[in-house]
Amino acid sequence: MAALRDRESKLDTLARVIRACVDVLPVDGASISVMSGPRERETLYASDEIAAQIEDVQFSLGEGPCFEAFATRRPVLVPDLPQASVLAWPVFATAVHDLPIGAIFAFPLQAGAIGIGAVDLYRRRPGWLSGAELSVALEVIDIVGAVLLGLLLGEVDDTDGLRGVLSPGREQVHQATGMLIAALSITAEEALARLRGHAFVMGRSLDEVAKDIVSRRLSPLDLGT
Amino acid sequence: MSGRAPSRTERESRLLQAFVQLADTLVDDYDVVDVLHRLVDHCVQLLDATAAGLMLSDQRGGLRVVAYSSAQTHMLELFQLQASEGPCLDCVTTGEPVLVGDLSAETGRWPRFAPRAIADGFASVHAVPMRLRRETIGTLNLFRHETGLLSDEDLLVVRALADTATIGILQERAIRRSEVVTEQLQTALNSRVVIEQAKGVLAFAGDLEMEEAFHALRGYARNGGRRLADVARELVVGELRPEDLLTARHRPTDV
Repeated sequence: MAALRDRESKLDTLARVIRACVDVLPVDGASISVMSGPRERETLYASDEIAAQIEDVQFSLGEGPCFEAFATRRPVLVPDLPQASVLAWPVFATAVHDLPIGAIFAFPLQAGAIGIGAVDLYRRRPGWLSGAELSVALEVIDIVGAVLLGLLLGEVDDTDGLRGVLSPGREQVHQATGMLIAALSITAEEALARLRGHAFVMGRSLDEVAKDIVSRRLSPLDLGT
Repeated sequence: MSGRAPSRTERESRLLQAFVQLADTLVDDYDVVDVLHRLVDHCVQLLDATAAGLMLSDQRGGLRVVAYSSAQTHMLELFQLQASEGPCLDCVTTGEPVLVGDLSAETGRWPRFAPRAIADGFASVHAVPMRLRRETIGTLNLFRHETGLLSDEDLLVVRALADTATIGILQERAIRRSEVVTEQLQTALNSRVVIEQAKGVLAFAGDLEMEEAFHALRGYARNGGRRLADVARELVVGELRPEDLLTARHRPTDV
């Protein structure tokens, strides 16, 4: 029950982060989705009806910028949707023709091979973001990614710095994740979860544990439960 | 590390080779991360540098290392440190080259980076911006054991290589559409994460150093004409087995 409440409160936090993002940036709506399988996803939150429809239409038709971002795991940024979509996604273009959508920016959330989900932004009028707006958007996306990754891995506490996993300078964490995958025959998600769990139990940082594994001071086999 | 400066004709032929090879890689379905790795390797050979690395802007005000000539941990940490101070950060902030012939004179400017680089055996460092119009998207960083500035001619070579790297990342079509810069940069940054995960898989499975693991990964991708990031992902998610790559390892390296 407590875990469920915790999850609810995290989802509420995400919704607030996304609404703030919509307020601050020149976008009119946004949605968050999570990857529930290699080919499956689920919309967690949509800030308005149009944002919800953008998702629904694409995933029932199997085409569109958000669908493509999900399938290729690359950002798909379309500042002029009416112009671009006719050529790239004709069925989707017809389906949303009457909706006020000028631009769509779809950002997949991932940590290397770990698929987390996506943040999709839309604006009514066409146009790209300025440099400053883009960096705000990317920061928001990092925060959402870190919170979702925490939910995906199972929280150990609130200060375990998952945001950093998606940030610069954490190469050893990724290398150690790989070593655990090979040593224990587990998935990347599970490997990262064990690294965090071990760090938490030992009262150390994720980086310290990762560096010990990469430099072979600590065997990944010792994290095999 | 070449150990000695190449002669002029040797260098001209290597330079030509470098650009032909880089141009060849920029076909439709090219592999950005591999292109960048080839580039830093060329830098080391052409400019008699000890090590080279390439850092890209993460478009959030930070810098991330995406390719480096030596995968030794101390080298990696020297690049990681530059996300907060050092020639790379200064170069990206100002958009101008940062040329330091004697690192020991710069401990005041970079109190953490300079002593660390000196302790690792480096005496001089150069950082050249990767520029696209008014935006600086990254920096090419050279380390040398010897003190002294690069000659004007060498500096031209570094700049040409940095420009080639910029084109490599953005492709021609990207240069006209600024949102493509973001698509390419963000994808390159995530590719780097998958590659580090894959190095870890191989390092454990084959009892390899990270650098050897990288060479095994790259050798396999090149032999099969595959993208480095694709091979890395397949290895991490278990579609490829480490043995597939380790037994296919004919040459230890083909830098």
